[in-house]
Amino acid sequence: MSEIATESPPTAPESPPSPVRRRGPMWWVRGALWLALLVLLLVLPLYLEAQWLRAGQYMMVGAVGAIGLTLLTGQAGQLSLAHAFFLLAGGTSYTVLSGSTEGGTLVGFGLDPLLSLVGAVVITALLGLAFAPVAGRLRGIYLGVASLALVFLGLYFGQAAETLTGGTSTGRSPTPFSLFGFEFSNEGDLEILNVPFRQAERLWYLFLALTAIAFLLARGAVRSRVGRSWRAVRDNEPAAAVMGVSVPRAKAGAFAVSSAYAGLAGVMTVLWFDILKPDESEFGTYGINVSIAFLAMVIIGGLGSVPGALVGALVVNGLPQVLALYSTDLGWFTGTGEGTFTPVLISSFVYGAAIILVVLFEPGGLAAIGRRIAGRLSFTQRGKE
Amino acid sequence: MRRLIALTCASALVLAACGTKGGGSDESGEGAGGVTTGVGVTDSEITLGVMTDQTGPFKNLSTGITHGNELWVEDVNAAGGVCDRQVKLEIVDHGYKADTAKTLYPQMEPKVLGFVQLVGSPIMAALGGDLEADEMTTTPASWSSELLGNPYVMIVGTTYDVEMIDGLSYLQEEGMISDGDTVGHIYIDGEYGANGLRGARYYAEQHDLKLREVKITSSDNDLTNIVTGLKGQGVKAILLTTTPTQTGSAAAANKALGLNVPILGNNPTFDPLLHDSPAAGALDQLYVVASSVPFSADIPKAQEVAQKYKDANFTAPPNAGVPYGYAVAEVWGTVLEKACENGDLTRAGVHQALEETTSAETGDLVAALDFSQPGAPATREVYVAQPDASVEGGMKYVKQLFEAEDAKNYKAPHEGQ
Repeated sequence: MSEIATESPPTAPESPPSPVRRRGPMWWVRGALWLALLVLLLVLPLYLEAQWLRAGQYMMVGAVGAIGLTLLTGQAGQLSLAHAFFLLAGGTSYTVLSGSTEGGTLVGFGLDPLLSLVGAVVITALLGLAFAPVAGRLRGIYLGVASLALVFLGLYFGQAAETLTGGTSTGRSPTPFSLFGFEFSNEGDLEILNVPFRQAERLWYLFLALTAIAFLLARGAVRSRVGRSWRAVRDNEPAAAVMGVSVPRAKAGAFAVSSAYAGLAGVMTVLWFDILKPDESEFGTYGINVSIAFLAMVIIGGLGSVPGALVGALVVNGLPQVLALYSTDLGWFTGTGEGTFTPVLISSFVYGAAIILVVLFEPGGLAAIGRRIAGRLSFTQRGKE
Repeated sequence: MRRLIALTCASALVLAACGTKGGGSDESGEGAGGVTTGVGVTDSEITLGVMTDQTGPFKNLSTGITHGNELWVEDVNAAGGVCDRQVKLEIVDHGYKADTAKTLYPQMEPKVLGFVQLVGSPIMAALGGDLEADEMTTTPASWSSELLGNPYVMIVGTTYDVEMIDGLSYLQEEGMISDGDTVGHIYIDGEYGANGLRGARYYAEQHDLKLREVKITSSDNDLTNIVTGLKGQGVKAILLTTTPTQTGSAAAANKALGLNVPILGNNPTFDPLLHDSPAAGALDQLYVVASSVPFSADIPKAQEVAQKYKDANFTAPPNAGVPYGYAVAEVWGTVLEKACENGDLTRAGVHQALEETTSAETGDLVAALDFSQPGAPATREVYVAQPDASVEGGMKYVKQLFEAEDAKNYKAPHEGQ
């Protein structure tokens, strides 16, 4: 991990390192692009059908989780395979905090959904902090394996704690999210510009807001003193300590923050699926496959890069969904029987190939490519001046 | 900057005004033949959905079921269709991934009247709310009585818990177990296993059996140590609610350890491919209970379906999914005919027709079904079958359709709610 990270510094300075902060034309272009993206994302529900919105929401779930992992693995240099466990912890916390006590078989506190969401994030952060002593002692692949244990713990916990999770047999429905009385479900009739706003459209905006908050906070952390301390610890612990960075604190902080992100992604997962259903085996919604998918997102996106994590989530979580939707639309691969190619099969090939290609040809990930393009653009720009 | 914002906002508004996706138009209307129609039904076609697993862990059974569905569609269309309309299937693969299924569902939903097949318990759980909201009558390829809490779920056949009760009665009737015996139950944690266990627990309570429960996950493929443990506890029979691979392992261990007790399995525990596995020689103690017949069972209808399967040149080896898939589609045909008679082929109409269906006939492919009691299994009758490599489909049945006394008195979790 660290070789990759040191070869290509994950965070290039975003603004020119001149002491006087002048807003050049590039700053405006960049701002306009971000704004255009935001506007585009805001109007999409008016045009896209529910299935595309759902696919988009799933990408956002991935994005929030991936941002958390890229902070931990890319910025702070700790390999973690426990992301799926924190997803389950976050989802369960939300469901329990906001849920009602149905028939005495389930535990529920009936809290306000917003409070429950915040509570779930706090609980997962604390769980991450509890794991910090382990994370502080181990590094590299050893930490990866140790954190993997949490996924198995989660599998057992999901099955055993039926009063919290509802059990693998039936699962448990989460309370739909609501904000100041506005329900993010099919409740009530809401029409904007002749478009009926139902669950898919409403959740889109909720997820968009959560993703934007997650993104901005992560960018802020990376650019600030916190981010610098993480990178210092990642690159050289003694040197960081000499400079006055508390190594155990930085490591524990990174783990807690990353867990909180995963917890938020877990809440989003539960809201997206409309159900909290613990896995029946190691492979499922909260299984090893999910931990590995998150790792794939941050590697494809470029370790340590926050926008890269977004793009990684787009590829890993989005590709299978979009491929399946497109090919069904176009009537491709609709054969049945043995040995037929289906979109699901093809997307797993594409996803595997994407990882291999990135690792072989661009270890810095898509973020490195983006940076190169941006660098070239600003170079020509400067040449003109 | 402000100008920029204003400009983008303005352009967004213009865009929004000229071509949003607009309101849905799934209002029902009068169709051909004086029948009210809605989503998924036109004057010439009825479209039914199939969400199946063609690439994941359950692709063998799912492919069989899909082919069974397809065979029926061919037959019914050759005979003039249902309600003067041709039946069409809309088939998608979700690879047993709940997330893929969750996104594919809204794409399928506006096209289909109902789901004639929906594979996978995680998928069923993720879509349960959607199905209820859209009034979508659905046949899951799962036989858990927990699913009957959703009124739009139509389970063709009996449920895992009832299968277990019937199967245990059979073992007792044949003198293989008696009251007070110790019996081991190996089950996969989850919807499938928990439901089978529910039945075993009920029977154990009625007959003072000492039930030794062993929970495993679907990926534990070596059950030798578990069977060894059960041997130490002196079990008289082993009950399985597992995958076929696990069945093979348990059967092999049963033989190798010299335990040699009868093994009773729910219907998904057997796959004809087991006859080609190393456990092939150890299957003689296995009894499988199911409410649908094995492929090429010795009844005219099953033979007919088997023949059609051969004629259709499908490449996949046949399994019990084929007659089941055919039977499910046939039950759907009965329900649709009923809805047609009622003059209402909308989703609500189909649901009503389902509740009015008290004896759906499938030529004994599945026991006669009664859907009039919400929450209760549509039948409590089962066949008992044993593996036999010499027949096509790998299974011959040893007991015809029957319903045990204990199964009759058993109350399913959502019954009478």
